[in-house]
Amino acid sequence: MTGSERMTVFDGAELPERLDGLDLGKGRILLEPAAEEMEFDLLDTFDGQVAAKGALLVAAGDALVLLEPQGLLRQERAAPGFVSDLPQGPVTERLRRLVSPLRTLMRVAEGHLTRQAVRGVDDLDKTHLRGTLWVFAPICGGTVSLLEMAALRGYAPTLARLEAALAPVVEDIHDARGAAQALRGTGASAPVLMAPDETAFRAAGDIIRSQLAVARQQEPGVLADLDSEFLHDYRVALRRVRSVVSLFKGVYSAERTTELKARFGAVMAHTGRLRDLDVYLIERDKYLSLVPEAMRPGLGKLFDRLAAERQAELKVLTAWMDSDAYRAELHGLARLFEKPKRLAKGPEAERPALDYAKTLIWKRYRKVNKIARGIDDATPDTEVHELRIACKKLRYLIEFFTPLFDDPEVPRLVKALKRLQDNLGNFNDYSVQQAALGRVAEDLARDPGSDGVAIATSLGALVTVLHQRQMEERARITSSFAAFDGPDTQAGFRRIFKPEEGTA
Amino acid sequence: MKIVASYSNKGGVGKTASSVNLAHGLAQSGLRVLLCDLDPQGASGFYFRVKPSKKLTDERFFTDVKRFTDSIRGSDYENLDILPSNLTFRDFDVFLSRMKNSRSRLHKALKSVASDYDIVLLDCPPNLSTLSENVFASADAILVPVIPTTLSERSFEQLLEFFAETKLSKKKILGFFSMVQGTKKLHAETIARMRQDYPKRLLDIAVPFSTDVEKMGVHRAPVATFAASSPAARSYDALRHELQQRL
Ligand SMILES: Nc1ncnc2c1ncn2[C@@H]1O[C@H](COP(=O)(O)OP(=O)(O)O)[C@@H](O)[C@H]1O
Ligand SMILES: [Mg+2]
Repeated sequence: MTGSERMTVFDGAELPERLDGLDLGKGRILLEPAAEEMEFDLLDTFDGQVAAKGALLVAAGDALVLLEPQGLLRQERAAPGFVSDLPQGPVTERLRRLVSPLRTLMRVAEGHLTRQAVRGVDDLDKTHLRGTLWVFAPICGGTVSLLEMAALRGYAPTLARLEAALAPVVEDIHDARGAAQALRGTGASAPVLMAPDETAFRAAGDIIRSQLAVARQQEPGVLADLDSEFLHDYRVALRRVRSVVSLFKGVYSAERTTELKARFGAVMAHTGRLRDLDVYLIERDKYLSLVPEAMRPGLGKLFDRLAAERQAELKVLTAWMDSDAYRAELHGLARLFEKPKRLAKGPEAERPALDYAKTLIWKRYRKVNKIARGIDDATPDTEVHELRIACKKLRYLIEFFTPLFDDPEVPRLVKALKRLQDNLGNFNDYSVQQAALGRVAEDLARDPGSDGVAIATSLGALVTVLHQRQMEERARITSSFAAFDGPDTQAGFRRIFKPEEGTA
Repeated sequence: MKIVASYSNKGGVGKTASSVNLAHGLAQSGLRVLLCDLDPQGASGFYFRVKPSKKLTDERFFTDVKRFTDSIRGSDYENLDILPSNLTFRDFDVFLSRMKNSRSRLHKALKSVASDYDIVLLDCPPNLSTLSENVFASADAILVPVIPTTLSERSFEQLLEFFAETKLSKKKILGFFSMVQGTKKLHAETIARMRQDYPKRLLDIAVPFSTDVEKMGVHRAPVATFAASSPAARSYDALRHELQQRL
C-alpha cells in the first residue's frame, strides 16, 4: 500500500469552505449536507497535558471523545475530574497514559460544535475516502477545524492527493497543541528570548517577569483547590524568581537583593506547610506499602489526621492569598520589574548576558566538583546537602540561560546532572521525611488522642524503613558523582561554559 | 473463511447479478466479505464502480502476496471488499489452490495484512471448462443459477454427472432458479419437474426476471440500495439466507 490510510488535519475556520468540492484530480471532496449541531466542552489539565500529547478531549452530547491522530476513542460522558475518578472506558484507559494522576481535568474552553460527514469520491462517484469534519467555535478563543479522514482499502493514493491539496494553505494550527491554544485563546506561551549581548540586568528582569506571570496564573487553581499541582507550580515559579535574585550576583544593588530575597521568601513561607502536607498525602499509598501489614491501620489514621490538617492549612493559605495585603505585595513586586528604572543596578548589571552566564555556570560547576570530590562514605551528611544545593543552583543557572546555549550537547549535560540530582534528591527527601515524622511524633506525644499508640507504633516502623532507604541512597552518592564526573561531561562543560581567558 | 463460487457453464444466466447482490447482503448482515471478480469482462467490479487494476496482468501477481492484497479495494459498503478483475486462467488456478491451503502465504496475508474475511465469493467467468474441477474442489458451496428452460435443465444434469464421475461431493451444489418469468408456461413446468428430480440440489429460491436487476447497470449499485422492497431484492435476500443456512 502506498501512503498512509488515515490522516488528521487541523486548521482554522476556513477548512469547511476549502474542503467543499475540493478538486483531487479525477475526483473531489463532498461534504454531506446533514450536519450535527451541539455544544462542546474542551477538557484538559490546566497545563494542557492532553494537548501536549497530541490529543483533544471533548465532551459533546452524551459522549466523551478523545481525538488523536491515530483515531478516535469514545465513552459515555462524565463530569471532568481526576482520571482515577472517571468511569471505566477506553477514553479513561487512554487518559491514564496521557495525564498525571496528580492533575485534574477541567473545562478549558466551551462553545459550539458542528460535525459533518465527508467523502472523497472519484469520477464515477465511487467512494475512496471517508471521514468527519469537526468545527469547534468557542465562546472565547478562535475557531478550530479538524478533519479526520480514512482511505478505504486500496485508496491510500487518493488520501495522499488530499493531503497534498490541503498542504499549501495550512495556518499555524498544525496539531492538537496548536488547536487547544487557539480554542483556549491562550496562544503559545512565548519563550523568554535572550541575546548574547543583552545586559545581565535585562536578562534577569525578563526571567523574573515571566515567572511571576506563571505564578499568578496558578492562583485561581490554588484558591479553588482544584489539584495539588497549582500550588506546586506556584512555588516552583517563585523559587525560580528567588534563585535569579540570589544567583545573579551583582545584577541588583546589595540592598535591593537582600530586600527582594526577603520579600519573595516571605510570600513563599505562607505556602510551605500546605505543600508538605500535599506531598505526604500524595505519597500515602507508597508509605503504606513501606510498612508491614499490621502497621497500616495506624498509619492510615495518621494520614487521616494529616488530611484534616491540610484542610485547615488550606483555609489559612487561601484566606491570605485572597487578601488585599497579598494582592498589594504581589502587585508591588511585579511593578518593580515592569519599569527597570525602579531597580537600583549592581556592579554586574551591564555585563553581556553570555559572558555573565558562562562565569556563573562555570563557577558553580567547579564548586559542585570541589564539594563532590571531597565526599566519601564517611563524610557528614551536611556536606551531601551542600552538594545537593550546589547541583540545584547549577541546574537553575543552565536552565535560565538555555536560550544562549544553542548546543546539542547541553541536553546531554543536563541529563547527566539530573541523574546525580535524583540520587541527591532522594537522599534528602528521606531525611526530610524522617525529620518531619519526628515532629509528628512529638505533636502526638502532646496530644495522643485515642489512636495515639497505634499511630506512634506505625510511625516508628515507617521511620525505620525511611532511614534504611536513606542509607541506600547515601551509599550510591560517590558512584553517582563518578558517573557525572566522566571525561565526556567534563569536556562538554569546559567547551560550552568555560569563559574565555581573561574574562573570568 | 468459506469460499462460495457463483458458477455455471452458461453465460448470461445471472451469476454476476447474484454475486453482487449476495455479496452486498452478506456484508450488510455483518459478515466480512471479499468479492473476487474473476471474469475478465469485469462485470461485478463494474457494479461497484471499482476500476479494474492495471497491475493485475503482471505475471508475478500471484507469486507476490503483497501485490494480491494491494489490489483489493474497499467498496462503498461496510464489510465488503472487491478484488477487481483481470486474471488469466493460469493465475486463477494458482489463486484457488492457494486460497484453500491454510498454510499458504496468501491465506496468511488475507488474514493479517489484508483482512480476515468470513466469506470469499467468486464470480466465475462463463467458460471455465479446463479449471472447473479446481473451483469445485476449492469451494465450500457452488451456487448455480438456472434459467428454467430445457437447455439449462440439461446442463444442470451434466454438472451433476460430472461430479459423480470425478467423485466430488454433490452436496456443494446449490442450484436456484434465475430470471424466472411467471407468465411463461415453460418456466413453470421446468421448475416443477426439476424440483421433483433434484429436491436436494435446488434451493427454494426463484429470482424473478425484473427490470430492477437490469437497472443495476444504470445505478451501478446492488438492487437493495435503490429498490429495497422489490421482489428481486427480496429473493436475493432469501438466497442469502438459504446460503447462510447451508454453510
Ligand atoms: N433476474 C434478472 N432479471 C432481469 N435481468 C437480469 C436478471 N439477472 C440478470 N439479468 C441481466 O442479464 C444479463 C446477464 O446477467 P449476468 O448476471 O451478468 O449473467 P452471467 O454473470 O451469468 O453472465 C445482465 O444484463 C443482467 O442485467
Ligand atoms: Mg458474469
